[in-house]
Amino acid sequence: MKKYLLIPAILAAAALRMAAQDAQAPDAPVPEARRDVRFAVAVIDDATVYSGLQERLPEVLNQLLVEPTVTFRYKPALSLSTSLIGAEDRYSDTWTELRVKEAYAGLSAGDFDFMAGRRIVRWGTGYAFTAAGVLDPPRMATNPTDRLNLNQGRDMVKADFVHGPHALTLAWSTAALAPAAANLHEVNLHDTAAFRYNVLARGFDTSLIAGDDRGGDAFGALAFTRVLGEAWEIHGEAAWREHEAILLGGKYTTAKGITFLGEFYTPPNIAFYRDATVSPLAGRQHSLFLNAGKNRLRELPGWKQWDVSASAVANLNDHSLTAIFDATRRFGNHISTYVHMEAPVGRGKSEYGATPYTAATSVGVRFQL
Amino acid sequence: MSSSMYNTCSNRMNFVLRVLLLTMLFGFLLTCALVSHAATTAPAPAEVEAMLKRSDSYRNGWPSYVLHVKITSFEGAKADEEKLYEVSQKGTEKTYVEFLSPREKGQHLLMLGDDMWVYLPDTSRPVRITPLERLSGDASNGDVARTNYAADYDPEYLRTEKVGADECHVLKLTAKRKGATYQQIVYWVRVDDDRPVKAEFHLTSGKLIKSATFDEFASVAGHAQLRRMTLYDEIRRNSHSVLEYSGIAPRELPDKLFYQGRTDRF
Repeated sequence: MKKYLLIPAILAAAALRMAAQDAQAPDAPVPEARRDVRFAVAVIDDATVYSGLQERLPEVLNQLLVEPTVTFRYKPALSLSTSLIGAEDRYSDTWTELRVKEAYAGLSAGDFDFMAGRRIVRWGTGYAFTAAGVLDPPRMATNPTDRLNLNQGRDMVKADFVHGPHALTLAWSTAALAPAAANLHEVNLHDTAAFRYNVLARGFDTSLIAGDDRGGDAFGALAFTRVLGEAWEIHGEAAWREHEAILLGGKYTTAKGITFLGEFYTPPNIAFYRDATVSPLAGRQHSLFLNAGKNRLRELPGWKQWDVSASAVANLNDHSLTAIFDATRRFGNHISTYVHMEAPVGRGKSEYGATPYTAATSVGVRFQL
Repeated sequence: MSSSMYNTCSNRMNFVLRVLLLTMLFGFLLTCALVSHAATTAPAPAEVEAMLKRSDSYRNGWPSYVLHVKITSFEGAKADEEKLYEVSQKGTEKTYVEFLSPREKGQHLLMLGDDMWVYLPDTSRPVRITPLERLSGDASNGDVARTNYAADYDPEYLRTEKVGADECHVLKLTAKRKGATYQQIVYWVRVDDDRPVKAEFHLTSGKLIKSATFDEFASVAGHAQLRRMTLYDEIRRNSHSVLEYSGIAPRELPDKLFYQGRTDRF
């Protein structure tokens, strides 16, 4: 080969070889990314109209909520997550606040996971009530899903060990940093140390919980869920804190996708469980929750984007109840509108009859990105 | 009657009887030939199970892998909605699905054998769901999360049949347990390479609820993998969903990713 062609030939060959190495083979699998970010933001504009107010209060509450969530993961070990609630409320006056729903750092090492920060943790298996959810945010039976995402987590450090179907969790939560009235009806925050053993065996997802509230009670609890056949799910909780608290529930799904849910709950009438509207002298309470609903009314032409449900929560001791109706309509992938209606019924001093209005109707728009 | 006439009638009768006997004999021999041919060409049960496993490998190319699924639902010819999922699969029993669409962002799904949990941001905890709750939408959670037929179904060989240009084995799959998404599937796989061609899905009652065509395949790291399938709603005939698979890659997935009580979802 002539010498003046040799160097360009060598360079051309090298360039081709590098191009072949750089170009991914057409059927090569996608490599795993070390860093990954998940981001979501929800904006909710909610207006609630109160009817039959028994106190001199405005009839309309308007809430504008902006709820961003960001999670950063540096695989395989580190994760950082935060979820905020920016709220502007207009009622008797206008106020704006920023709440930290969650903000925590996580570290994963083998079978161990460690977490520190503010986190929502739910150990209870109940839908409207909980006896074993010792770290759970307060559960309102008339709003079990926290539809506006207003609950905040508890500040804690937590360690999990997961091996096969077994998991051990140790958590210590402090009340020192919790803002006043951090959660609706939250009056019993203590520094809490809790331990949970969770196992999936023969279809039973079972948890044993034990712990202690600093300056309060020691407690123990058992919780389980089980699916039976194609359509039934049962769940239950039993807890001991001075006295026993029991929850039993079940869910049935029809072939057409309609879900029926029922729960019976009986807590002792102690400060930890007592609702603010129930007298300390009232004794043990018994409550019932019933729900029927269907997501995506596919069978009805034009109703595919609708979810509807109806619920009732009743205090069996004072015979008061609240009836609840929810309907949601989705528009595309980002927007949904909803109606939420509550109608309490009962004598003036009963748990639900003491509610200072005869009906509350909320309508809202939710935008999610 | 004269003897000659008698002989003529007798001869005719004999002729008719001989023709009838020969026809029956020929028909009997033909039937035997057809039956024995069918018996000798039907595969043995072990071969049918191997056929099903080879067919599963087009959707489960590795023991542990990750992929993305895009489901586009159509009402008539119009695209109605689009959903995105990231699916992590380990073995035949463990599936973890992350919902990536804006409407469902934050939701997760976990399947361990027959047990399934949905994690909803509203509840901030895993919620146990029943097999009937899996059947939601044109493409159900089970269609996304449960794709290993050899683990969930007992196969029975039915026949061979031509579908378009492909000669196919037709298998009847019967659910091994009540937790399976569908109780019965009729499944067509190519004779040449056991590649899935189409399927019909039935409930416990025998009612046909969905059908599917396996439309497109592509090679990933030397494995031919399903890229696109279409699910047809046999009840609401104008609805169908297109499932597109991408980002398929083998991964080492830790067992604790598939722990039912874990709330440290991404």
